[in-house]
Amino acid sequence: MTPGAAVDDLKSLAERFVLFGRACGADEIEVGLGDDTEFEVDVRLGRIENLVEAGTRSMGLRVIKDGKTAFAGSSDLTPETIEGLIRNAVRRAELASPDPCAGLPDSFSPAVDPAGLDLYDPAVAVLDPAEKIRLAMETERIALSDSRIVNSHGSSCHTHEGVSVLSNSRGFLGAYRKTFAGLNVGLQAGETDDLAEDFWFSSETHLDALAGPEEIARTAVARTIRHLKPRKIETQKAPVVFEPLMTGQILGFLFGCLTGTAVYQKSTFLGERLGDRIGREAVTVIDDGLLPRGLGSSPFDSEGVPSRRTVVIENGVLKSFLCNTYAARKIGASSTGNADGSGVGPGNFHLRPGGDAPEEIIRSTAKGLYLVRTLGQGFNPVTGDISLGAFGLWIENGEFAYPVSEITISGNLGDFLMNIERIGSDLIFNGSICGPTIKVSEMQIAGRS
Amino acid sequence: MSIFEDRFHLGPSDFTDVLETALSRGGDFAELFFEYRLHHSILIEEQIIKETAESVGLGLGIRVWSGDQTGFGYTNDLSPERMKKAARSAAAIAVAGGTPSPPAAFVSRSPLAGLYPVAEPAVSADLGRKIALVREAYEAALAVSPAIKKAKAAWGDYVQHILIANSEGLIVSDVRPMVKLTCTAIAEKGAVREYGFSGGGGRTGLEVFVSVRTPAEIGREAAEEALLLLEAADAPAGEMPVVLAAGEAGVLIHEAVGHLLEADFNRRKTSVFWNKMGARVGTDLVTIFDDPTIPAGRGSYAVDDEGTIPRRTLLIDKGVVSGLLTDRLSAKILGRPLTGHGRRQDYSEIPIPRMANTYIAAGPHDPEEILRSVGRGFYAKRLTGGQVEDSGKFTFSVSLGYFIENGRLTRPAKQATLIGTSLGILNRLCMAGTDLEFGRPTGTCGKEGQHVPINDGCPTLKISSMTVGGRG
Repeated sequence: MTPGAAVDDLKSLAERFVLFGRACGADEIEVGLGDDTEFEVDVRLGRIENLVEAGTRSMGLRVIKDGKTAFAGSSDLTPETIEGLIRNAVRRAELASPDPCAGLPDSFSPAVDPAGLDLYDPAVAVLDPAEKIRLAMETERIALSDSRIVNSHGSSCHTHEGVSVLSNSRGFLGAYRKTFAGLNVGLQAGETDDLAEDFWFSSETHLDALAGPEEIARTAVARTIRHLKPRKIETQKAPVVFEPLMTGQILGFLFGCLTGTAVYQKSTFLGERLGDRIGREAVTVIDDGLLPRGLGSSPFDSEGVPSRRTVVIENGVLKSFLCNTYAARKIGASSTGNADGSGVGPGNFHLRPGGDAPEEIIRSTAKGLYLVRTLGQGFNPVTGDISLGAFGLWIENGEFAYPVSEITISGNLGDFLMNIERIGSDLIFNGSICGPTIKVSEMQIAGRS
Repeated sequence: MSIFEDRFHLGPSDFTDVLETALSRGGDFAELFFEYRLHHSILIEEQIIKETAESVGLGLGIRVWSGDQTGFGYTNDLSPERMKKAARSAAAIAVAGGTPSPPAAFVSRSPLAGLYPVAEPAVSADLGRKIALVREAYEAALAVSPAIKKAKAAWGDYVQHILIANSEGLIVSDVRPMVKLTCTAIAEKGAVREYGFSGGGGRTGLEVFVSVRTPAEIGREAAEEALLLLEAADAPAGEMPVVLAAGEAGVLIHEAVGHLLEADFNRRKTSVFWNKMGARVGTDLVTIFDDPTIPAGRGSYAVDDEGTIPRRTLLIDKGVVSGLLTDRLSAKILGRPLTGHGRRQDYSEIPIPRMANTYIAAGPHDPEEILRSVGRGFYAKRLTGGQVEDSGKFTFSVSLGYFIENGRLTRPAKQATLIGTSLGILNRLCMAGTDLEFGRPTGTCGKEGQHVPINDGCPTLKISSMTVGGRG
């Protein structure tokens, strides 16, 4: 079947289920269908460990009856299964409670042309499995050729091609295709009881943007060996410089605190701060669901609302929460096109880069921690408290002095935003939540007493 | 008769056909894993039943081995053509031209009996009955105090039908139930806001919410934790003695030991334990088991996801490494016994060695005596998860703790990450209580992107020194 025919086939299937839902008594119904093909090869120590190839379809739907909502999902797309789920959902909706905020979006315009987003790369779709195996093999081979690397977690090459279709009873019908290509390697260095480990990767929608084996391997090696022979530092308060991946992790915490869902559920410490200064002047945070070739981009969200670019924090001032239709109605705002299943998800959520070269930020630090990896999930969105296991490099007089491990960093995300002193120029979109190198003036570090 | 035969009209001759296709390029082992999972959920917040959901997971995962290499394909369309297409994807791992050997004739295997005690099955229970349980938890949380401003109660139940048929002639099926009820409460005092959590359930039926922990108890526990945190100080920062509460602190054992004794990390020699079989790694008090056969246990199963009958496995015996958790592949490569710990998230994933219910055995000390032995330290009461890397560096997060001063719990303390290394912690485990218990059965473990239900447990434990990462 040609890709075009697959899209048309899914569209008519979705429309058919919408009609069936209306016939069963649903006031409103929305049906999303996906058709995905995945390929993955994991190699380790020069041999293939796993070779995975599969194609699957999936369905998610929502019905609303008398202001009451029910959801259903299935990986079995046979009409009798889906029709049974629709009938059950209409019956179940009757047992739920009426909710004035429930229901499909009111508007689906202005529609975004999927072609302009450039999310589908035919080169990914037709890439020969032998070439994917070669990419993974080559990445690991280059990494292992460095004598300081003692073992490998393996290298993987992963490609994905998917079609998303959405149809609803308000007449919306949309479809888009998207590709993904990823290449990564994980390494170990050091001796058995004193091992250091790290990894590197590249993730893109387009093959021509994917970093090559040489770049990924060299970066992974450098990241791994810099952890060798760590020291444990004393408990103290000190400035912390965040590598881009680490900034991304903190931005992930921030994203969770800026959804309309978190606001109405009172599960965010930023819920009452709209219009307030919550960060330094230099802090501008944007969610851009329309970034061409972006991993988090899409023409429309899971409710059919067009994706958009939303300035969330502008020059330190909280300007907008990110919402699906339900959360928007709950907090008296408009959907920002961030619906993701029954929740809220990021487009390309990022901290706007500043003018400082990352090297300059390190040079500006007399004494402090350069954070490169964390362990654990220590974030409380209700209070903003952060506490994480940490690995990094100790900075003295603007230069890396030695690696540190078995420490923790802690602080509060609210203080963190006010304490961002420097913002790097090195923003790279390698996920749906990304940031550049940043420096915060002070965090609590726990180590030796 | 399994649902795959009964409802999807698939029989042994179909399984043989697909296995033959999987072995057509000369692979030396092939396996079919059929799954049909029916899941229901309910969410109550803001006084209303906000949503209910029903989902169906149906699919077949096909695995082929060529030596120690794995080919894998999956499909959620169980038509003969689609199953054979997935089989050909899996077969690609084998070098074409090998001589296909025919699959062996099937011999049916029985899963362990008695692991899923169910009096009132969730799958057939009336939705109204489940809604009543969720509402009871929700209302109990709000009733604890006017300071509880928001509550959320969530229900999830599923029944997972599986059938495994492999080219060695093994055929086995299992029907695994699961129920879970959780409650989150948010307390407010002035500008300070905190949340608490509780939950219950297991591989059992609705009766667990009468016999073990009622929805009202779950709601109250969540609310009381949130209220306590309102009064809590920042946790301390630095190295100090740490006492771990019986039950939930089992997550420490899960992270610091369990993962590192999963056999895949040992066959790859990435685990800090790979060369320590028979070696002392901790004090005499460290005896650790993983037991998938605890009736109703959240991490339990009557047969693993590769068809192996599971058994309780001794991992560390009085400080000495004694066992590994194996799946078929790692057992074969390492020449170790099969322990029945090959698990997968669902049909679309390759099975890997995983924990089930992991615990450290009870020790000789009176829990009160353990506390009294600490002049100044930290007591970890409620844990919310952790993470480990193969080198043995691990963390776990404490949502609620207490300061220990002069052998007694004094002020509550909030939000701290504790960090250590496996060998460091096991050698500093200096007291173990008589009071072994399991944590609340709500936990899920993630590894290589696959999530499976687990549980863990421990008695009251004392670590002579550990880094506590509070805000000071």
